[in-house]
Amino acid sequence: MTSAPPKSARFQLGPLLRGEAEVIAGWITRWTAGHTWRHVALIVAGAGAFGAAMGVWRAPAQAGFSAVKLPLILLATAAGNALLNGLLAPLLGLNLRLREAFAAVLMSFALAAAILGAFSPLMAFLVWNLPPLNSGSSANAMAHSVMLLTLVAVIAFAGVTANLRLLQLLRRLGGEVIAPRLLFAWLAVNLLLGSQLSWILRPFIGTPSLPVEFLRTGAFHGNFFESVFSTIRQLWPDF
Amino acid sequence: MNESNLNPPPPLPPSLPADELPLGEHPHDCNPIVGALGVIEAVLRHPRRIVFHLNQGSATGRLVGLLLAVALVFIAVYGAIVGSFSGGLQWWAAPLKITGGLVVTAAICLPSLYIFACLGGSPARLGEVAGALGGLMALATLLLIGFAPVAWLFSQSTQSVVVMGGLHLLFWLVAAGFGVRFLKTAFRRLGLRSENGLNVWVVIFLLVSLQMTAALRPLVGPGDKEPLLPRPEDKKFFVAHWFDSMDAQARRTPVRRD
Repeated sequence: MTSAPPKSARFQLGPLLRGEAEVIAGWITRWTAGHTWRHVALIVAGAGAFGAAMGVWRAPAQAGFSAVKLPLILLATAAGNALLNGLLAPLLGLNLRLREAFAAVLMSFALAAAILGAFSPLMAFLVWNLPPLNSGSSANAMAHSVMLLTLVAVIAFAGVTANLRLLQLLRRLGGEVIAPRLLFAWLAVNLLLGSQLSWILRPFIGTPSLPVEFLRTGAFHGNFFESVFSTIRQLWPDF
Repeated sequence: MNESNLNPPPPLPPSLPADELPLGEHPHDCNPIVGALGVIEAVLRHPRRIVFHLNQGSATGRLVGLLLAVALVFIAVYGAIVGSFSGGLQWWAAPLKITGGLVVTAAICLPSLYIFACLGGSPARLGEVAGALGGLMALATLLLIGFAPVAWLFSQSTQSVVVMGGLHLLFWLVAAGFGVRFLKTAFRRLGLRSENGLNVWVVIFLLVSLQMTAALRPLVGPGDKEPLLPRPEDKKFFVAHWFDSMDAQARRTPVRRD
């Protein structure tokens, strides 16, 4: 007869949001496939809802595409960097196993996705109150700026909160010195892969003059950082 | 010699003010909340009782339902007062839209309230969070009912949409302010350690509720001159809508020289 797992081992959203480091550390040490699936489900639901709320401004089909692509970026970043994140942990002084490092990163992504999901009704309300993206009205430029600023604010809030909670967990596992070092290393590699994935999987809202599609024709041409550099050069040709 | 005189009992700790007693230790906390009148009394006089019963778990759903029902009835009545200014179509359209607006505002703000409550350290469950929000709505709408006679009197004695809109807005802000005070008290009882996130949420809640004045317009003005809801190309930020309404009013009103 199998006994039920202790309460602290069961996944709950509340302790994750409150950053109860002891409970979360308990999940990491007793990580099961069930934990993985629940976190994946949270990422799919939360980031998916936010993607849909964002994409629906362009078209209903774009809402569906963005609902698939946004969780895909988070999951692919966690999976693609699992080995590297797992290697960096012992190299920087925290003796985490590969599975534990993956669990910690997946948990922080799940937390960010939960926050994004909670804000998705507000995003949908914002979109409902904006003029249609392809209306060409004079208020459209302002609407675009409002949308962009709101997206940046919500995503930044979700990202910062998730990383603060991850830092609390790493402090508990590795102490004050190692934790910020490891968090910085994980952030750097996740940003590198995540930004390129988001470049490949563009568009999330989409330019009104271009067709609604899952991937742009030249999805694999260029990269995120090249694009940022060329935008800067357009703004300052002497750069 | 009596032994009790040699060993006097230790002095009792100073008793806490009633508001600072732990939840459940105040004599009023455990009293049952029966029906709509019980909810109104508790929201007004004994907010701790609402939090205590939400915290019990077994009857959370029933209490949340009661709070919502009270809020919906009150806001519908106040909506009719708003509609009485223009009459006609607005007799039914204004209460319907204002009630719907409050429900949508609560529904879209609830997930972020839960997130901010947890981030602030509260162990409150979603049901308790919904109950605290229900309490905010019940108290705010109850206060609106208190303002209703004043609003009705003004609506019968002025022709200015801007004045009436401003007055309703003022009443809503006062009522929502008291509602927010209830919410904050409830969350302190529910173990909230930091109010920073909750303050951000209050701003979001107020912005959403104010945007409803533009998203569901016309609410105060005549309903037969405009579509029931704004066309997609006419959507506006609420501040822009208010300024446009003031400009339109200024153009219509002749300059008085008396």
